[in-house]
This record gives sequence, structure tokens and C-alpha cells, in this order.
Amino acid sequence: MGRVTRRQLTNLLGALSLVLALAGLAVGLPALDAALPADRPVPSDRPYAVGGGVTVVPPPGARIDVTETRPTENSGTALFRLGPVRYLITVRRFEGDLSAAADGLRQRITGTPGYQVTGTELTVATGSGLAGLQGGYTAPGRGGRYAVFVADGRTIEVTVSGADLDLGRSLPAIDASTSTLRYDPAGPR
Amino acid sequence: MTAEPRLRSARTAPVQPGADPGPGLLRLPAFWIVLALVVAGGVRMALIAGRFAGRYPLSTLTAVALFALLAVPFWFIVSELDFLEREPPALLALAFAWGGLVATTVSIPGSAALDDLVAKLGSPHLAADWGAALAGPTVEEIAKTLGVLAIVLVARAQVNSVLDGVVYGAMVGLGFQIIEDIVYALGAVALAGHGDDIEPVVTTFLLRGFLSGVWSHTLFGALAGAGIGYLVVRADRTWRSRLGVAMLALLGAWASHLLWNSPLFRDGLGNGALALLVVLVFKGLPPLLLILLLVRAAHDREADYYAAQLEQLEDRELITPDELEVLKSGSRRATARWHARTRAGLRARTAVRRLQRAQARLAVELSRGTTDLGRWRHEVRRQRRVLAALGHPEAIAPEGKGPWRRTASAVFSTALAIAVLWAAISALGGG
Repeated sequence: MGRVTRRQLTNLLGALSLVLALAGLAVGLPALDAALPADRPVPSDRPYAVGGGVTVVPPPGARIDVTETRPTENSGTALFRLGPVRYLITVRRFEGDLSAAADGLRQRITGTPGYQVTGTELTVATGSGLAGLQGGYTAPGRGGRYAVFVADGRTIEVTVSGADLDLGRSLPAIDASTSTLRYDPAGPR
Repeated sequence: MTAEPRLRSARTAPVQPGADPGPGLLRLPAFWIVLALVVAGGVRMALIAGRFAGRYPLSTLTAVALFALLAVPFWFIVSELDFLEREPPALLALAFAWGGLVATTVSIPGSAALDDLVAKLGSPHLAADWGAALAGPTVEEIAKTLGVLAIVLVARAQVNSVLDGVVYGAMVGLGFQIIEDIVYALGAVALAGHGDDIEPVVTTFLLRGFLSGVWSHTLFGALAGAGIGYLVVRADRTWRSRLGVAMLALLGAWASHLLWNSPLFRDGLGNGALALLVVLVFKGLPPLLLILLLVRAAHDREADYYAAQLEQLEDRELITPDELEVLKSGSRRATARWHARTRAGLRARTAVRRLQRAQARLAVELSRGTTDLGRWRHEVRRQRRVLAALGHPEAIAPEGKGPWRRTASAVFSTALAIAVLWAAISALGGG
């Protein structure tokens, strides 16, 4: 077996530096991200701007997850957490009717392995007059509720998920919050 | 006594000739480490593709086929950038694989984490507006530039001019761009919620592949690669100044990428053709022009060096003074081929192309100090005889004819292509 040359040693050090730099990007940044808390308190006495002109009054005790909340002019997402329960509102551009919007959301839910839609869909309405459809789904170890509304070329999707027990406790407050959904293009961003 | 005038290449961008990579490559630890990284990235991306393929087989197949087709002209253009001293296909493939498999694998978690950090340290609003502009370029440009450094570690002798850095950087960027586009297209299919529907794939292909493709990762990678090329070949400069230029080039690539991803001009102009034009002109064109000028300067300096090698031969059968001028410029080379076709037909055009390639190869072998040049001299003479038989003995470019016509034709074709694409995207509802 030959000796390790100086050139090979330098080459090895260079390659290891490369690996280290890649690890910094692929592992270091996520580790730093994980070390910082993602949720913040959010006031439940005033509307929160989800994005795309849609607002909602968060449920009492909810915290906003800033990593999954992205409000923009034309669309947006807001993720509230009530303990282990996720309450996600998504607003995006959509050209179609309520039935097509509900169909698309159902397909995305059932597209995740193990997720199934349960029961029949019911019509719902918010306090501001937005009409929507609401249904439920199950997944291994957790349950969920979805609702979808269509307003002015936008779809507003609500998905709630968590363990059955937690969900049962949080749903009344979440339902009350969902009924405060309002679309107002001139409203706060 | 007057000093001998120095070539531009010697003053600002020296060429360091290097031999083809041989089996010695296998004894380098970096070769095996880089190979392992590419394999690991390949497995990771195959898992992602497999998940999409299971749920959307037709869309996955369509996306892979469309973007693979798109890669072909890009590959051709990038590999042709260094006509005189062509890069080995295996190294170009390695650069492409790094971009498509390693840089993407690293960028997915890295960019997501940085985007989250923008939201945590700033606000969700800041992340919504500037998250993609800050996180994507920061992680992706670093991951891609590491690919050019990987090529340097694996085959240092093959990065022997600034232009080589440009070519490898662009190839890393191209790999990244193609794989990222496929993932985006399949993400659009999942988001649409219409099952295995190829419409989002086609829209993504037109938007990201064509309209955004020209000013995308290939371009940014080329700029960062130029910096690495400079870092490697300018051994006459201090380590600090070489590193400074490399960092500046990386910063330029990052800034170009940031400008492209930024929310500037995104809102307020609507979604029509005017908004698209404004975005292309203000966000895409400046980096494109900057990098084209850089490539041209690097190419001309390298051409000076290789032309000087051929000049020493003083053999008109191998290269005439006019051919030497033609060989120095991509535009004049193309004009010479066009001129041969119009004067003596397609066979003459092919022969001119082969003659130019053989002359370029001869120049490279001369620069490497190869003692037996018989093979390359023979090939030049063979093509010269073909041309003589066709009545077009010299591969010259007539002054003032070809370039203007080709430029006008290219501008017209580009404008027409953008108009057609815009109509297609609008018809598909992607506008």
C-alpha cells in the first residue's frame, strides 16, 4: 500500500470542508431553526389578516405559528395552534364554484396516505355571509374537520386536525372563530 | 528597447493549460467523496420523485420528459461556450449531477429553515414578501458554488481559465434548474387537487422553463463559477484578492437571484403582458447582460491565448491569418460556417465546423506541450482538403454580413417566442 501524499491529504481536507459546508446548510440551518420557538401569542379580540383580503378572529388561547403563516396581497396562510390542535386557514386564487373548491380540497386531503373523508358535507355560513361547505376526515391517530368558502375569485380553506380528544375540546372555539371569517379586499392586510 | 506587448489573457485572465483527467483521478479522496455525495443526493431525489410518481404517474412522466428536453439546448449552449478548450463530458455531467442532486437535496431543508428564521426573527409578513428572495438565493447559490469547488477538487487541471469556471458553474446551475422545475411542476399538480392532471405541468414548463429559464440558475451559476475560475487561475495575485473576487462573484449571483425572487414589480402592474415585460426587463435583463459581457470578456481573453499558440506555427495550411481572427470569436466562427454554406453548400459548412474544432484542439495540444501533434495536424489538413475540393479553401468570415443578420433574427425570434408563450400560458390559465 502506497504512502498518502501531501496532495492527497490536501485534497481530502478540501473535500471534507465541502461536506462540512453542505452539512451546515442541510443540517445546521434546520437545527438553528428548530432551536427557536415558532409560535407567538395572538390577540383573540380583533381580526387577524390571513391574506388576500381575508380576516378571522382567532380562538381564545390560540398561538400563531409564524413558520406556516404567510400573508400576502392576493393569498395567504395562517396556522393557529390550540395546544396540539392545528387550525389552518389558506386563501388562494381560484376560478371555479364552491363545489369545485370542495372537490379540490377533498382530493388533497385523501391524497395523503391514510387520510379519508368521512360522513356527508354540510353547508355552513359565516357571520359576514360567506357560504361554504364543511366535512370531516380521519387519519391514523387523528381526526379532522375541513371547510371551504369561495369569495371573489378566491378560495378560503379551513382545515382543523388533532387527536380526537383534543379536537373535541377545541372545536367549539374553532367553529366560533371560523364563523368570523370575513372577506374584505379593502380591509387590513 | 520596447517591451513585448502582453496578451489580454496574460494581463487579466491567464490560461493554465492542463492535461485530460486520467486514472489518477481515482486516487483522489475528493473524487470518491463527491461521488458519494452525488449518489446520496440521487437517492434522496429518487425518493421524492418516487412519491410523486406513485400518486401522479402521468404528470411525473410528462414533467421529466418536458424538462429533460428543455435541458438539451441549454446543455448544448453551455458546453459550446468554451469552443476552443472544451470541457470533458464526464466532468460536465458531474457538474450537472451536483446541481440536480446534491445542491437541490441540501437546498430543500436549508431554504425552508432560513425562510422560517426570517419569519421568526422578523415577521410572517416579512417572510411572505422577502422570505423566498432571501432564503432561496442564500442557500442555493452557496450549494451550487460548492459544486464548482467540487470540480476543482476532482479535476483541478480542467479548471484552467475563468471561462472554465463559467462553464462548470452554468452546468451546476442547469442541473439545479431542471430538477427544481420538475419538483415545482409536480408540486403544482398536487396543489391543483385535480388528480393526475398534466395541465399544471405544462403551465409550469412554459412559465419556469421558457419565460424564467433564461435568467435562472444557469445564469447565476455561471457568474459564481467565474469567481471560482478566477480564484483558481490567478495564481499571480494575492490569496486575499483572489478570494475577494470569488466572493464578489458569489455576491453578484446572490444579488441577481435575490432581485429575480424579490417582490419588486410583482404587484401593482397586474398580470398582463406589460407586467411580464417590466419584470423581464428590470429583473432579468441586467444580470443577463452582465453575465453575457463577462462570458464574452472571458472567452476573448482565452481565445487570445490559444490564437497565440497557433500563430507560432506559421503554417498557412494549418491556419491562415484570417482564420486565426475568425477562430477568436464565436460570432465570426458562426459567420464563417454560414458563409461556407451559402458559397459551397452544407458539406462545406460541416467541413468548416470540423476544421475549426480541429484547429482549436491543435491549439490546446500546443499549449499543453504535447510533442506528437501529428494526429491533430492531420485532421486539420484533411478538412482543408475537403474544403479545397468544394471550392471554398479558407474558413473566413466576410466583414459586416453575418452577425447583424443573425442578431436581428435572434431578437425577432425571441420576441415572437415570448408572445406565443404568453398566449399559451394565458390560454392555460397560468397568467
